[in-house]
Amino acid sequence: MRKRRILLVDDEVAIARALAMYLTENGDCEVCVENAGSAALAAARQFRPDLILLDIVMPDADGGTLAAQMKAEPVLKHTHIVFLTALVSRNATGGGSKTIGGLPFLAKPVDPDAVLEYIDQHVVVRG
Amino acid sequence: MVDRLAAELVPLRALALSLLTLAAAITAAVVSPETLLDQEALASGLALIPALLLAHHRRWSVVSTLLGVGLVALTIVHLAPPLFGVSPEVPIPTMFVVAPYIAVVLSAGWLGEVRRYQAELKATQLQLIQSDKLDSIGRMTAGIAHEVKNPLMMILVGTKILSKRLVNADDTTRQILQDMSDAVARADRIIGGLLSYSRDGGLDLEPADLNATIETSLLFVKHELDKVQIAVVKDLDPSIPTLKLDGFKMQQVFINLLMNAIHAIGQDGDIRVSSSVQTLAAGRGVGYRRTDRYVPGERVAVIRIEDSGPGIPEEHLSKLFDPFFTTKPVGRGTGLGLAVCRQIVEMHRGSIEVGNREGRGAQATVILRLEHPEDDYEKATDSARG
Repeated sequence: MRKRRILLVDDEVAIARALAMYLTENGDCEVCVENAGSAALAAARQFRPDLILLDIVMPDADGGTLAAQMKAEPVLKHTHIVFLTALVSRNATGGGSKTIGGLPFLAKPVDPDAVLEYIDQHVVVRG
Repeated sequence: MVDRLAAELVPLRALALSLLTLAAAITAAVVSPETLLDQEALASGLALIPALLLAHHRRWSVVSTLLGVGLVALTIVHLAPPLFGVSPEVPIPTMFVVAPYIAVVLSAGWLGEVRRYQAELKATQLQLIQSDKLDSIGRMTAGIAHEVKNPLMMILVGTKILSKRLVNADDTTRQILQDMSDAVARADRIIGGLLSYSRDGGLDLEPADLNATIETSLLFVKHELDKVQIAVVKDLDPSIPTLKLDGFKMQQVFINLLMNAIHAIGQDGDIRVSSSVQTLAAGRGVGYRRTDRYVPGERVAVIRIEDSGPGIPEEHLSKLFDPFFTTKPVGRGTGLGLAVCRQIVEMHRGSIEVGNREGRGAQATVILRLEHPEDDYEKATDSARG
């Protein structure tokens, strides 16, 4: 079974590096990191991820717009996108599963195990 | 200090006025001794002094008004005969004496009213200043909170990586790594508190069972209650109709109030939680003025949380809702609990009060409206957000 392909878009270099490392070492994932929001769309087209972890507030791009652009791409429209953001608090959402602009999110600081759990639930690798 | 002086001055001013008028009456009686009826005026002038003083107490203003009306009647009786062509029994100077009395009585009543308005205006202004202050603090904390989350995330992920890699670590190392994760979780909770204070979100209103919301809140603090042997006495009124609530935010209010009660008691004691439907009678904050929150006769749900703790020191009562005011040890509380509670309750167009019970302990009272037109909610949410 092939590894799950995760695209991680976050301008926080250290977080992206550490989270990618964790997912790779503990979650049977192949992680592609993109720190520049403006390059995320191209990276997604090329990498063809199973799931995209997308920061919302980045200096050169807005995650919400990026998500819309990705969903408009024929090759990416079925790719699961989840926001990874410091904009919302976990307890602001009542612990329930809420969405931002129709897409699910994980509130920073999120336990990397919770990210893995999310990937387990939402990514089914065939073949 | 200045306020107190002004408050003292108003009855004194009224007294001075009545004495002046009395002096005028005496002068009139002396200047024209033939107007015997001036003695009547003199007597009524004397009666005016207590009336004027009474006029400054809300509940006595009716009495002073009645006295004023009596004097007007007296004047009419004196005026009537000449009007109907009957020879005047009352000499003209009497009128000059009686008229100022009437004026003074009526103005005294007004003065009392003006004073009350002034006090209310001042209170409202203070509230406005306060809410302005809270708003800027809110904005600042929201900014800081967001900024802090990224470093927290880094620490959390880093700690997890180290935990996984140090498979052969000794107990102390593992404990330290666990403590680091716990510390991040705690910092996250504090930030969550700051953000919910910073007026980030609006209300998510849904029809809700108020008593069920209270029960859920109690479940959340059950562990804490059991730990320090605090018993809860529930007196929930099942007749409370379904309310439109943001259940999660309202839970936050009750949990906060319950935690305060638990911390106040410390060990061994009891908390009484009650809910009821009440019809409001006119009184403080209940009336027809713009500054009144409720109208008389309005039906509301009243939730009360009473504890058997030591109560709240007098000097803390005015600061309870100030953000960052806390008496809890460093690290135990951010001092935002009650500030957040008030904000949430006011967004629901309700009110909250915290004070001491008669006897022993403290009590928190939350009042929520039972009837509420939809659009009013938006207004309340907007104004609560500043």
